[in-house]
Amino acid sequence: MSAQEKYVSLLELANANGTSYELTEGTDGALIVTGTAPSAEAKQQLWDEYERLDPEFRSGDLILNIGLADAAGGGGHTHTVESGDSLSKIASEYGIQWKAIWDANRDILNHPDKIYPGQELKIPI
Amino acid sequence: MKAKYLTVLTLAIALFASACGKSDADLTKAATDKLAADKVTGVTVKVEKGVATLTGEVADAAVKSKAEASVRSVEGITNVTNSLTTKPLPVATPAAADPALTGKITEDLKKAGCEGAKVTVENGKPTVTGEVPAAKYATCIQVIQQAGVSGGVDNKLVKGK
Repeated sequence: MSAQEKYVSLLELANANGTSYELTEGTDGALIVTGTAPSAEAKQQLWDEYERLDPEFRSGDLILNIGLADAAGGGGHTHTVESGDSLSKIASEYGIQWKAIWDANRDILNHPDKIYPGQELKIPI
Repeated sequence: MKAKYLTVLTLAIALFASACGKSDADLTKAATDKLAADKVTGVTVKVEKGVATLTGEVADAAVKSKAEASVRSVEGITNVTNSLTTKPLPVATPAAADPALTGKITEDLKKAGCEGAKVTVENGKPTVTGEVPAAKYATCIQVIQQAGVSGGVDNKLVKGK
């Protein structure tokens, strides 16, 4: 079974949730999916599906390289977390809701209260 | 009473006739129209005795599977033989030379709180060792895959506590 067939449900999900992508073949035969997701949530859906198909990502037959569309926080506004920062504090600096920052950074954050100095958060403005 | 049976019989015959009424040519047209409606291009359909055979080259496995589902949904088609091929993929080139990629990934891992992961890149293919907290594991793998590598991750990363 080719990697494309193995990960067909992932590609179908990308088509369904509005992620545009291109396929290339890795130098070692891995399938490379390079694309742009419309939201952090859509990107997370793809990673969840990848994890379902390859539970610890150990097969080495897929490279999932999905970025975020500008409107979803991929536009280059970032904030480097400093000691004492919280999502609500950062949000008020930019005049947005903390939840918007949380949504845009679900790929790197596990919990809204757990941010660490040095982390670069995408600011969806 | 007799008239009623006759009506039922006539109806049954009419239904049977209409079911058989779709010739292979009709079904081929119906399937081709359905593919066009579903925006699937590059597929040739041929129906013989209700069985559709799909040939041609499509962009990827998702299109191949979608084409089959579309044709299968056409009334009167009993089975689908999917002989579609997928377009050969261009071979990727790494975004940067190995030492630069290694440096970038190491930096990205640090930013994502994955200090426990150690990466080396050889010919665009990363190998990762070390240990990270289980909650960070998927994030750390994601960071590596998004760095512009051109080979699958040789993943020896340990999921810690």
